[in-house]
Amino acid sequence: MSHARFEDWQLLDLAPGAELAEVNRALHFRRSLYQPGALATYNLLDEDERLRMLDRIDEAYRRITGNEPPRSPGPRPVEPVEETGLQGEGEVGSPPDPRTAPGAHLRFQRRARGLSLEQLSAVTKIRTSLISQIEAEEVDQLPAAVFVRGHVLQLARALGLADPNELAARYLAKVRLD
Amino acid sequence: MIEEIQEPTETGPRVWAIGGGKGGVGKSVVAANLALAVARTGARVALVDADLGGANLHTLIGIPSPKRNLSDFIARRVASLNEILAPTPFDNLWLVSGAKALLETANPSFGQKTKILRHLASLDVDHIFLDLGAGTSFNVLDFFLAARRGVLVVVPEATSVENAYFFIKAAYFRKLKRAQPRARVKAAVDEVMRGDARQRVRTPRDLMAQVMAVDAEAGAALMEEASTFSPSIIVNRIERSEQTRLGDEMGSACRDYFGINLRCLGNLPYDALVRRSVDERRPAVDLFPQSSFARAVRGAAGTVVGQPVEAVG
Repeated sequence: MSHARFEDWQLLDLAPGAELAEVNRALHFRRSLYQPGALATYNLLDEDERLRMLDRIDEAYRRITGNEPPRSPGPRPVEPVEETGLQGEGEVGSPPDPRTAPGAHLRFQRRARGLSLEQLSAVTKIRTSLISQIEAEEVDQLPAAVFVRGHVLQLARALGLADPNELAARYLAKVRLD
Repeated sequence: MIEEIQEPTETGPRVWAIGGGKGGVGKSVVAANLALAVARTGARVALVDADLGGANLHTLIGIPSPKRNLSDFIARRVASLNEILAPTPFDNLWLVSGAKALLETANPSFGQKTKILRHLASLDVDHIFLDLGAGTSFNVLDFFLAARRGVLVVVPEATSVENAYFFIKAAYFRKLKRAQPRARVKAAVDEVMRGDARQRVRTPRDLMAQVMAVDAEAGAALMEEASTFSPSIIVNRIERSEQTRLGDEMGSACRDYFGINLRCLGNLPYDALVRRSVDERRPAVDLFPQSSFARAVRGAAGTVVGQPVEAVG
């Protein structure tokens, strides 16, 4: 129970020092509260606020447990099959390694949150085809590095990933190397 | 601004304002049944019809529209407030027709609203249930806030939840505007919203934390004001077991977002007998005391009076 602050416990509505099982239950409850389409928070938050709330919840969990939050077992909205790339790569099961496959990592994280390209595009204002190209690491389709860096940062933030800067750096290193 | 008409420790009736959001979620039916269930615990109860859109509590109780109403008292056409308490077929339960008084003054001033509530609070009863009707007009919000015990009725449907949050937001911000000293609080809020900290303000709860950082006194004033805003919720027409979680979930979401406590007073099941009781012009609590709805209402009444209510045999 490492760097947790009082607010972290508060955010999960737990007494400081609660058992891990309780923390896990609280994580599950609060995540489900902020899933897209959850009735109990219907239209309380806009999309950006909702994603940030999920991000905060995961952050609090990380600080409390020192672990990555487990993936929620709950059902996810079905996502339409997408056009390009990466079919079969990191589809289900083990998450892709952000260091070696930053694009696939972005796609995996987006899907894990039950977000469609359209929904993520609505939040980030990045067009869906470009998000898809970034996820697929389609090097020859991508704009200049400075834009790519900005887009990856934005996507990572919208998804509430732990270290957007690190991911953007990895991404640029990868697409340049390829 | 209108004053809150009582502290929980004060003597005098407890005023429960039932309102919030959408029409057609069963506010009046809930108000009538809850009032009767509370009256049957032995407490004296006045049910006040303040629904400007359609005052029809008398029909739900099964009596003609009361001849005397609140405006008669305000206009001094009756000597005592007790003259406007219309008896009902039920012990300990009286009906007050209040909507006309509100209608006659199309847009009652704060002073008039305060006066109306003061009069009501001087009724010789233990509980007052104020049926506010739908909508989020300032009138409804002010009565909801002034009653201190605001109760929102929702049904497990997206439109109802959406309306409830719209209502809570409107009431919450109207409440915060009253934080004193007003100029200083406003200055602190403006400072936060102009500065870099603005990025970190995603919810009203964040706003308060940031105001606290720039001006601790203003922040404390806001928190003080927010802490006295703790509406309750009743979830009506529950059809599936997972819907019983809605009230508590909305409570959690309100805590996260507004930093307020939203207590769930009760979960009332969908029950076809409720419709029949409305047709019969008798509250379901009286006509079908063993129905699932009536049982659940008695549970909520127990929460209202602060002790469990035994089932009527």
